[in-house]
Amino acid sequence: MKTDSFAEKTARDRARSLLDAGTFRELLDPFARLESPHLPVQEIVPQSDDGVVIARGRLGDKNALVLSLEGAFQGGSVGEVNGAKIAGALELALRDAREGKQIFPVLILDTGGIRLQEANLGLLAISEIHSAIVALREFVPVIGVIAARVGCFGGMAIAAALCTFLIGSEVGRLGLNGPEVIEQEAGTNEFDAHDRVLIWQTLGCRRRLAMGQIDLLVDDSVDAIKECIATQINIRVTKKQREPVARTREITAQTRKIQDHATADLEPGAAKTSSSGRGRQWYNALMENATEHAEGKSLLVADAQWGTETIRAISVVPNPLARFPRARQGQMGVEEGWGIARAIWEAIDSDLKIKRAIVAIVDVPGQAFGLHEEQLGIHLSLAAAVDAYIAAREFGHPVVALIVGKAISGAFLAHGLQASEILALDDAGVEIHVMSEASVARVTRRSLREVAALAQVAPSTARDVHSFAGLGGISRLLKVHDAGEPSTQAIEEVRSEILQAIQRARADAKTPRARLDSAAGRASRTMSREVRRVLESQWYVEQ
Amino acid sequence: LETLNFEFRAGLQFIQRRVQVGVVASGNLEVLLEPEFSPVSRVRVRTSVDGYREEWMAILRTFFGRHDVAATIEINDGGASPPIVLLRLEQALEESRK
Repeated sequence: MKTDSFAEKTARDRARSLLDAGTFRELLDPFARLESPHLPVQEIVPQSDDGVVIARGRLGDKNALVLSLEGAFQGGSVGEVNGAKIAGALELALRDAREGKQIFPVLILDTGGIRLQEANLGLLAISEIHSAIVALREFVPVIGVIAARVGCFGGMAIAAALCTFLIGSEVGRLGLNGPEVIEQEAGTNEFDAHDRVLIWQTLGCRRRLAMGQIDLLVDDSVDAIKECIATQINIRVTKKQREPVARTREITAQTRKIQDHATADLEPGAAKTSSSGRGRQWYNALMENATEHAEGKSLLVADAQWGTETIRAISVVPNPLARFPRARQGQMGVEEGWGIARAIWEAIDSDLKIKRAIVAIVDVPGQAFGLHEEQLGIHLSLAAAVDAYIAAREFGHPVVALIVGKAISGAFLAHGLQASEILALDDAGVEIHVMSEASVARVTRRSLREVAALAQVAPSTARDVHSFAGLGGISRLLKVHDAGEPSTQAIEEVRSEILQAIQRARADAKTPRARLDSAAGRASRTMSREVRRVLESQWYVEQ
Repeated sequence: LETLNFEFRAGLQFIQRRVQVGVVASGNLEVLLEPEFSPVSRVRVRTSVDGYREEWMAILRTFFGRHDVAATIEINDGGASPPIVLLRLEQALEESRK
């Protein structure tokens, strides 16, 4: 008998195939007509479901929620609408879980990550997806499936790493940065995007299984995948006490793998992006009376007493002596991601009564683009940081971010976007975006001039802090006279703003979802809100 | 991206249920087919390839010539060839009868 290939199906058929016959019920189906309004203005034909299928149905005796991305449409990329469909559905599942109504989420990940045409809107949506997955994981297993042609990359690779159980097939690939982007950012010597053997040896699910980054490798067969999902749901529901430690919390075991990784062949780095050095400058300025905390030099971590508040500040800074060349200029690399996770968990584990504030000082020019990073699973390292920030928030630590320079893509997801309050200097040196213009041009097949002009029609692709604030991404913009050389007065003012943000976060530990309710979020992210409104109205079957 | 609108005299057969087939990908398209109860069948095409109005007209004429249906159709096209377009339209109609 011929095997029924999972990979060959469309997203809708994949979702249908995993649910028991006759129980598939699609929410926000193509006739709900919630498509991306951002693509037609960029001369791109939209799809009626925006490339994701949200379906409820039965899996044996359980209620399941299947979220299935369509890799054939725009590379399965996540924009405002499909991102809101996924985040919104997970948020409703979480609401149900908190009321004791179990519904088991399954993410079918066939996605290149953030949709570059919707840039920061995709970035915000993915931060909401991360937050919802980690919160849901406390109630039900969240299962991820990477078994289709595109694989799973970017911010969604971080989402995959956050899942309770991750299933892959030989067809699937998993990594933070796709081969083309690494080649663009770091050169052909670092990663040849045409070398198929190298790609599969580095990113293939078989390799990921060997590295402990996925849990199970199955055949490309509907029956095999469905059976595996059903088994995992049943095991994890009945044996809750024996729940293994989340992959993102295995800090000691995972960092050992990184320490053991041979780096003798690593040449000096020549990454194109670089940090302005503002992170270190602001960190030093704000933390002058800090108690030193040895955590390596590319990651600064220290505690300080500001009035009645104890704060732990964390910043990633350039370090020419870092082991991994691609992370020497302030990028978020494998060591930095796990380092952040360790620093935060240390605070969580030692603060039993009074929870100190966690302050992320953000100046990250991006994640490290490199072969060694992908081999070691940089997506997992960033997921560990994401998970730690979310955990800190959930355990009652006020989490505040201060953007003083660049806040870019995966690095920002891992260091800043999970904060309850994001403050930013109101300064031209502050940049928030998802990918260098050169890489955007390559991936979207546009000229650099066309990419630069895009910001006019699609504000989410702009890179300045005001545009990001316009999306509701910033709680407060802080005016400073000279952001590069802050005066004593400016430092005091910023410190006072951070303290006020800590107070607000203590009163209300906002999740990323709350940004939608800000005045700017309400005005600009209308589709993110509309999707959630209609989704909620369709969540239960009408009586 | 070009948006094209077409109208045809509605046929006698009604569509039994609305269906969606296909994916907007390079050389592929999605078709949304819905019942239409007025005397006019309407088709809206959004295509990534500009300047083929006549060809779309010919394809749709062929489809409505073969099938005496009353329908509203939306097509989101990623540059599919005429045979692929016809195939998807036939597939949608077939699905609507299941």
